[in-house]
Amino acid sequence: MSARQAAHRERGSRSIGLDAVAAGGVIALVAAFAIGSALRPERKSDPVHRRATRKARDGAAILGASVLMDSAMEHFRGGFHNRAMVLAPATAAASIAASLAEPRPDRTGRLPRLGHALSFAVGAAGLGFHFYNVTKRPGGLSWNNLFYAAPLGAPGALAISGLLGLTSEALSIAPVDGNRTGNEALAWSLPEAGRGLALATGGSLLVTAAEAGLLHFRGAFHNPAMWLPVTVPPATGLFLIGEAANPTDSGREVTRWAARGVAVLGVVGTAFHVWGVHRNMGGWHNWRQTSLAGPPTPAPISFTGLAMAGLAALDALGSEERSS
Amino acid sequence: MTDDRFDSPYPRYDVLEKWDTPSYNDQTREALAKRMDEVPPRRFFTAAEFTTLQAVCARVVPQPGRAAPVPIAPFIDSDLHAGRGTGTRYAAMPDDRTAWRQGMAAIDAEAKARHGSTFAELADAQQDSILSAINQGECAASGAWRDLPAQDFFRKLLLKWIVSVYYVHPAAMSEIGYGGPASPRGYVRLGPNEADPWEAPLSEKGARQ
Amino acid sequence: MSGRVSVLDDAAELRPRAVSGRAPDVFSREDCVPMAQFRDEEEVDFAIVGTGCGGGVLAAKLAEAGGSVVAFDAGPFFRPLADFASDEREQEKLYWLEERISDGENPIELGSNNSGRCVGGSTVHFQMVALRFRPEWFQARTKLGYGADWPVDWREMWRYYEEVEKACSISGPIRYPWGPKRGRYPYRAHEVNAAGLVLARGAEALGIDWAPTPLCTLSAPHGKSPPCVYRGMCKIGCSTNAKQSVLVTYIPRALAAGAEIRDLATVGRIETDRWGRATGVAYFREGRWRFQKARHVIVAGYSIETPRLLLNSHSARHPDGLANSSGLVGRHLMVHSNHAVWAEFDEEIRWYKGPPSMACCEHWNYADDDPTKDFDGGYAFMSQGPLPSDFATSIVTNSGEFGMDLRARMAKYNRMAGLKMVGETMPQADNRVTLSEGKDDLGLPRPRVTFGYCDNDKRLYAHALDFMGRMIEAAEGKNRFETEGTAHLMGGCRMGEDPKTSVVNADGRSWDVPNLWVCDGSLMPTGGGVNPSMTILANAARIADRMIAAGRRGEV
Repeated sequence: MSARQAAHRERGSRSIGLDAVAAGGVIALVAAFAIGSALRPERKSDPVHRRATRKARDGAAILGASVLMDSAMEHFRGGFHNRAMVLAPATAAASIAASLAEPRPDRTGRLPRLGHALSFAVGAAGLGFHFYNVTKRPGGLSWNNLFYAAPLGAPGALAISGLLGLTSEALSIAPVDGNRTGNEALAWSLPEAGRGLALATGGSLLVTAAEAGLLHFRGAFHNPAMWLPVTVPPATGLFLIGEAANPTDSGREVTRWAARGVAVLGVVGTAFHVWGVHRNMGGWHNWRQTSLAGPPTPAPISFTGLAMAGLAALDALGSEERSS
Repeated sequence: MTDDRFDSPYPRYDVLEKWDTPSYNDQTREALAKRMDEVPPRRFFTAAEFTTLQAVCARVVPQPGRAAPVPIAPFIDSDLHAGRGTGTRYAAMPDDRTAWRQGMAAIDAEAKARHGSTFAELADAQQDSILSAINQGECAASGAWRDLPAQDFFRKLLLKWIVSVYYVHPAAMSEIGYGGPASPRGYVRLGPNEADPWEAPLSEKGARQ
Repeated sequence: MSGRVSVLDDAAELRPRAVSGRAPDVFSREDCVPMAQFRDEEEVDFAIVGTGCGGGVLAAKLAEAGGSVVAFDAGPFFRPLADFASDEREQEKLYWLEERISDGENPIELGSNNSGRCVGGSTVHFQMVALRFRPEWFQARTKLGYGADWPVDWREMWRYYEEVEKACSISGPIRYPWGPKRGRYPYRAHEVNAAGLVLARGAEALGIDWAPTPLCTLSAPHGKSPPCVYRGMCKIGCSTNAKQSVLVTYIPRALAAGAEIRDLATVGRIETDRWGRATGVAYFREGRWRFQKARHVIVAGYSIETPRLLLNSHSARHPDGLANSSGLVGRHLMVHSNHAVWAEFDEEIRWYKGPPSMACCEHWNYADDDPTKDFDGGYAFMSQGPLPSDFATSIVTNSGEFGMDLRARMAKYNRMAGLKMVGETMPQADNRVTLSEGKDDLGLPRPRVTFGYCDNDKRLYAHALDFMGRMIEAAEGKNRFETEGTAHLMGGCRMGEDPKTSVVNADGRSWDVPNLWVCDGSLMPTGGGVNPSMTILANAARIADRMIAAGRRGEV
């Protein structure tokens, strides 16, 4: 068999492999984190504000990382046949860097906001693209196309990541003393920013759970644990929206625990998905197929990101009583 | 048929390159290695019948320009020797072994009736025209066929058996761009003009779409 | 290769694997599961001949109900993970390749086309199309004016479709366009491959419905089976166990419930006593003939082997064969016309990826009022994905093409798509299985299969070829060509309500021999215009329940 083996090793595959895409994704991720962290001095004096800001931005970064890896893999699966497909992972990387970079009141501070706005815009445009992709296929807006054509949820997640970035941006530049700078577009007070963030994360949890629901329905909920991400996060999302509308101490405490649960769920879900890939034929040994065909490993952690942003929102909301 | 040239749409593709990847499992490697490395010896046909069969195979699946043509006749011989059946014996036909012997003799008789020499000695074009005539059921040496229906033998036994040996060979899989062995690793990209990195790259025509 | 133990050497075809109280664990590469074992002299409740759609289901359900069961199969007991190669030639081991004589006006191809020979039967190589009969077909004579009525109400059958679809985790669409509303399939439909999208495109261009085909392969994990990897070799055996064949569904259930499976065991005769009751089966295993005593014998060998066994079990009391007082054993054999249209496309389709038939159209099974419908019965058609050797053989047997023309045509393999029909043929008494003069290696008479199309059959497939041709052209296919053929077997021991016009009653029980039953596709009075597996499975599940109920009443 040596001749056959030699022929194989010699020639190999010259096209861009998933390994290259994965490596690229990891490099982008690491770079985004590095750049973001380098621009991240600790300047907040108020500990609550600092913690909330930190959590929100870390949450947004985790969500961005999930979107980056997921979109890189999915668009690799699609062969990047449309050049615009690189935009998704690229803007997700920008979003991560923007989330981690310290906002400044000066002009350079606008750059991260621009990054988040870009993510939001690209996500929204992607949603349109994916919708068009679905409808032009035979069957149109059918279940089969919702399951297997370009997913509507994925660009949605990018848009969410942008939205979350923008709101956490607002949170972090919100003056603790309540004095607004006045000329900023996102000049909210801390509790106002908390309310905005709670609304954004609450809504995002609902949307993300809907996406998980669609895909878990596609998987026929073959494992009872697949019901968790379609029940716990939406409940938490509703709690958060409720808190934004009518903040109460007791409600906040319940919501906080729910959000912690969602954060843990993201990690547990990742483990489940890693196991799920293993359960496909050939397991991780056949990763070039199973990592694409099996459950998406980068997806569940987005719940952790959203939950952290939700916790930040609760912190900020809690500061209301303290400051007033 | 304009000339004896064959151009594969996938000239640089070889299913054997995947030999060490998850596209192959042990049992597939074993079955294919056996096919490629162990060409069975002649045991069923007589030397003369076998010569005719080889000549027929070379016209049914011409392989010009291939340094080592895919062997076909030895596998038919080995199947018949082992009594490997197809599950169907058409009532109008004798059993497989008898049919093949009669068929080889009849093809030679056709050659002698038309050109005065054995089938194997004829030029390609002469051989082709004899096979085409048999395919239409037009026999010059009808006595030689005895109870064997020429067209049915030609299509349902001879051609069918030959192509079923040829198109399971890796060389044949490669030339048509078939994915080949695929277990445990199957395929991810199922849509039009989509190919996994371990498949034949899209032919130029496909890639242009 | 040298120095390593050959994986195919320990071949399942050479010696029985289900022996010494152990049977192969089909989910492993070499392990076994415990198995009950009965002595030949021990009178078991049920001796079942065949382990496919009929026998496999019965073995599981009867054993689960507490019966003692021995199920025989002439073929080997495979472990797909270790035994199945990605190779068309190697995998011919799944088919019934024993010589059978094919006769008649339109002699049919046997073997790989319609007959399996292994534990799990034809489901090990079937293409997994999991369709249901149209309700009216169960009363084809009364409601549609052709063929014969089934002695079963369609609603009862539909309940059993649901049962077997659940047992086989069928992956089907959420909305199925034809027939009465059905419950949700247990698993979601698979992604439709490029070959299926050709059908979809054509259907939408002609303004008729299409659907992702309900398939008997997993779209998500189930138990020890992983989801389908779309390797496209379903017809030569699934090496991943994603296909929910009887081998990986009902057989493990049967073993767990205490049934014994005897592989490489050919039943040659059903013995009867002088009162005409069956006493057990004579079978050949491990080089010798043996006899298994049984209180009930169930024949589940499919439309050729079932009549063959009954006819060969003649005796002084049953001179024309067992259960044959009506003279109908072997008669009313049906196939499906399996004609196809093929065309070339600009895009690369690569139909070898995914199960062969991922999109289907049942329009003509339901279009009674269409003025162009000039035939009784119906047909469905599906997208195609033949493997290279399969495709090449169907080209040459149909057209006789050879030489460089053939190689050039085959070089278009990746840009081909096709539509192939499953066309209902009428039950005709003269289409039948008989015993021939010739004997096989065990000394059993070889079966002779006689088949010819009637005028209605010919009108039906002509209509289908015309319609499919228009559809594939509407989908922008070029250089169209046609092939003909048949698939599936049905009938041969029809069930009914009258001992004069049927072999068995609605429970599958023989009219002549009260402890002899038939349960497989040969029971089908009509063939319908869909692949028969689900119907055979559902009917078997129904018969199992009837037998269990009869047993509770003390009638078994």
